[in-house]
Amino acid sequence: MNTMETVANEVIYKAFGFSVRSKISFPELLIVENNSDSIDIEIELKDLSNLWLELSDSKSTLVMNEMLVMFKVADTAIFLIEKGKRITVSPINQYKEDIIRLYLLGSCMGAVLMQRGILPLHGSAVAINGKAYAIIGDSGAGKSTLASAFLHKGYQLLTDDVIGIYFTKENEPMVIPSYPQQKLWQNSLDEFGINNRELRPIYQRETKFAIPIKNQFSSIPLPLSGLFELVITEKEDVELKQIEGLYRLQTLLIHTYRNLLIKNLGLTNWHFTNSTKIVNQINMYQLQRPKKKFTANELVLQILSCIKKENER
Amino acid sequence: MKILNVDKLTMETTIVQRPGNIISDMDGETVMMSIENGKYYNLGEIGGAVWKNLSIPITIGDLISKLTSEFNVEISECQKEVIPFLEQLLNERLIMIEKSI
Repeated sequence: MNTMETVANEVIYKAFGFSVRSKISFPELLIVENNSDSIDIEIELKDLSNLWLELSDSKSTLVMNEMLVMFKVADTAIFLIEKGKRITVSPINQYKEDIIRLYLLGSCMGAVLMQRGILPLHGSAVAINGKAYAIIGDSGAGKSTLASAFLHKGYQLLTDDVIGIYFTKENEPMVIPSYPQQKLWQNSLDEFGINNRELRPIYQRETKFAIPIKNQFSSIPLPLSGLFELVITEKEDVELKQIEGLYRLQTLLIHTYRNLLIKNLGLTNWHFTNSTKIVNQINMYQLQRPKKKFTANELVLQILSCIKKENER
Repeated sequence: MKILNVDKLTMETTIVQRPGNIISDMDGETVMMSIENGKYYNLGEIGGAVWKNLSIPITIGDLISKLTSEFNVEISECQKEVIPFLEQLLNERLIMIEKSI
């Protein structure tokens, strides 16, 4: 008990392959017991109200430039993300740790990844035969549900919601494991808290649907080997087709997590170049799922047979 | 309303890339993104070679003779292919005409 209390103040976690030292606790993250590595990311609490007044104009909820990303979620907190190394949280009014945590692991980590030159896609990634396959799509497309169907079949999950991609020296795209939890609610979380009226029901749903998946978490980076864009269709049946040509670049841009940061962080060129690297090495598919019925298991079979065909080639 | 009269391209016209376009390679072809309009373009293999020659101002005549030697084609054939391509680039505001000195 005593040791617990002494470390409760500041704990070192592992998330997206980084060691994160935080004053805010994260039950969903793995704790690093004997940390010998240097700290990659610091999460701190500090009053940012003056800095916010200085940098933002009266109507904006988001400030971003090549040095920093800063955003305000009404009645919750101001967040500051710098150099991919430091996240500062300045709570507003009553301290709402659960909601703050969602933003830290969502938008804040998304900004950290971009500042560090890691391409974040919006979706889930599953491990199949030692390779990573990404399921990307709009919010509500059913990415997490599909990932969860893979888990039920015994496959491992690398990440849910944010897929961090880095490139090896040989330019091979690799998917970073994020943290061992699946969150079926998270897709509905608003980007930078612009419509925070929606937050309360999400917050309530959180406790219901956060699923720890420690045993089915792939803890090492795996090569990205295929990408499936999940879309909802009015049609009756599941359909899979290859995405070709320039549409592939557009698809990657649309599904880049918090893609409005790209231009403002001066990363347009970087994003374009890395997108073509991905396109040059893996196939991309669009997977249509009928709006009206639950087809997650059928989608799993479609993806598996598609991968099998690719491997036979 | 047609702002640009592309019919006026002659062998003496000097053209150059507009700044603000990003180039990359996709499946061996040159692809481009215009920062100005956010559009993607696939210039293809030959188009990529044309584009490379437009990084500094060049007359269309000089461009054609460079390309004919590079790709071993007849001047007349090269003109027939390249001029419409340059017109497209002009219309998409990817290149511009330099005032001759």
